[in-house]
Amino acid sequence: MSENILDVIDLSVEIPTRHNILKPVDGLNFNIKRGEILGVVGESGAGKSMAGNAIIGLLERPAHIADGEIWLNKKRIDNLPAESMRKIRGKEIGMIFQDPLTSLNPLLPIGEQLTETIIEHLKISKKEALDRAITLLEEVRIPAATQRINAYPHQFSGGMRQRVVIALALAAEPSLVIADEPTTALDVSVQAQIISVLKKICKERGTAIMLITHDMGVIAESADRVAVMYSGQIVEIGKTYNIIKKPRHPYTVGLMGSIPALKGDNERLVQIPGSMPRLNNIPPGCSFHPRCEKAFEPCYNKRPLLSKIGDSKVACWLYDEGYKNG
Amino acid sequence: MASKNILVKVNSLTRIFDVSKPWLNRILEREKKQFLRAVDDVSFSIIEGESFALVGESGSGKSTVAKMVVGLLDPTKGSIIIDNIDISDKNKKEELRKLRAEIQMIFQDPFASLNPRWRVDKIIAEPLKSFKLEKSEKQISARVDELLSLVGLDASDGRKFPHEFSGGQRQRICIARALASKPKFIVCDEPTSALDVSVQAQILNLMRDLQDEFGLTFLFISHDLSVVRHMANHVGVMYLGRIVEIANPKVLFENPQHPYTRMLLDAIPDLEMSNKERKPIEGEIPNPIDPPSGCTFHPRCPYADEECKIKIPAPINIKGIMVACHGVARGRIPAKQ
Repeated sequence: MSENILDVIDLSVEIPTRHNILKPVDGLNFNIKRGEILGVVGESGAGKSMAGNAIIGLLERPAHIADGEIWLNKKRIDNLPAESMRKIRGKEIGMIFQDPLTSLNPLLPIGEQLTETIIEHLKISKKEALDRAITLLEEVRIPAATQRINAYPHQFSGGMRQRVVIALALAAEPSLVIADEPTTALDVSVQAQIISVLKKICKERGTAIMLITHDMGVIAESADRVAVMYSGQIVEIGKTYNIIKKPRHPYTVGLMGSIPALKGDNERLVQIPGSMPRLNNIPPGCSFHPRCEKAFEPCYNKRPLLSKIGDSKVACWLYDEGYKNG
Repeated sequence: MASKNILVKVNSLTRIFDVSKPWLNRILEREKKQFLRAVDDVSFSIIEGESFALVGESGSGKSTVAKMVVGLLDPTKGSIIIDNIDISDKNKKEELRKLRAEIQMIFQDPFASLNPRWRVDKIIAEPLKSFKLEKSEKQISARVDELLSLVGLDASDGRKFPHEFSGGQRQRICIARALASKPKFIVCDEPTSALDVSVQAQILNLMRDLQDEFGLTFLFISHDLSVVRHMANHVGVMYLGRIVEIANPKVLFENPQHPYTRMLLDAIPDLEMSNKERKPIEGEIPNPIDPPSGCTFHPRCPYADEECKIKIPAPINIKGIMVACHGVARGRIPAKQ
């Protein structure tokens, strides 16, 4: 059961500009197992969406994969030509984006959009595709799916639309779903419903989900493992419980402390000074060092690599044996 | 501690928007005029030096309340009294002009609320000039420098344009502008929802420091319950234009009374990792043009009965908690475990 659906090895994305080469994603390493939700968190500009787009092959020129490999179901997909990648997208990788209104065609009834996708990838008859579309809509808990199959996207509320998008992503039974901020545009109560739908499909179908979000709460509710990204790199990756309760990297510690608590006293929030560096101005060494209180000598010029600390992997010199005592 | 002066008093505030189609379409399609009650009979008061927060989901009318309180929208019914002056009283022009300087607003989007063609020092100096608070250019620029350093920016940042700043820094500029006229009362409409959490923490800390320093009174509008709990002394929960519950945030979070508040609090993802089973949430906010009769929450409420479908519940006061619910009033709703 614990086979890897997705393997990302040393993935780097580069954007050449007139002056220099920007690296929004820099040496990512992670995998997602069958039936597992991997949360990818980070603040804006951390490169989490860029990493998602690189995996599904939707990078916009001039951004391109400069280095590394992406393996999906033991098949290398990062070097495939556009046409074969198009067949994989939708069939083997489903996608859910932040804004459900822009992911759906406003001029077509949702049933038509679903059957179109199903027929394209599964090669079944129109009748069967329609039945399947209704089953999918029921699965994402849209009430009265049979009646609403011919409704247009504008007739649905935001939360219902996002369910349609999830149904669309699942249409061809993909083994991997990449959900990029799927609940950010929604209210909390609707968000809770969407999270429970995502968890359900993950459990029932064994779909691997890469959940990209900036909301630690969403991650805590749904993810099995979390990767914390900062300026294009994973700074810490591990089981959700460990990351939330025992964060190790100073950035993760700061990130957790800056979330206002729902219990206890309203003490001052922990604040990380400054903000995420711009892509054209990434500091040398550990890119977090200008904001880090614990920065010491190696941080200024040597980049830390992910190494195993307890159950998690952390990229920080503080935990390096060679520097620990020195 | 803050004195117990009531600075802002809002009395049965109502705002109805006309959302009808144009006249000709109404005639041709035989449709009646349509009205949207965005805010319906909202009353609350804010004690000087405290923060009052309004929470609710999108469409609950919280931003409309904010706009009416600062005078950007006229109320259809009801009154707003700030510092003992009724702001809809057009006879008191002179007093109102003075009062304007004491009310300021911070908006959600720090990208849209700053003029991109103005330098930051001009942006911050605008309230000083329009309220004629400082006489000479020299005094103005001294005050601008002071305001910039107050919000944690450098005096030299005044010569820059807004696009040269990050989102958090822009929100600091907005705060500096709001503070320029030495206001007593600041209305903050989702001040941190466009920001990342680490930046949000910086802004929230800054706002609390400024409140302590100047004794500011905040009306805080937010959909983020954790932010509200962190900032407010009192929280009003809105649903479809009405306030369903007002309480101290600690009480509200530990012992919510109204079924909607309970549902909302149950929906927030927490970081406790308790893996508790959540009650699935039923339904969504109904269409505000055609809201349900009686208590507008009744179609989604597990405790609703016949009375809830007919009668709008009146707010009652239980141990300092204001709650508008028939079930709570009749003791039908079991205490939260």
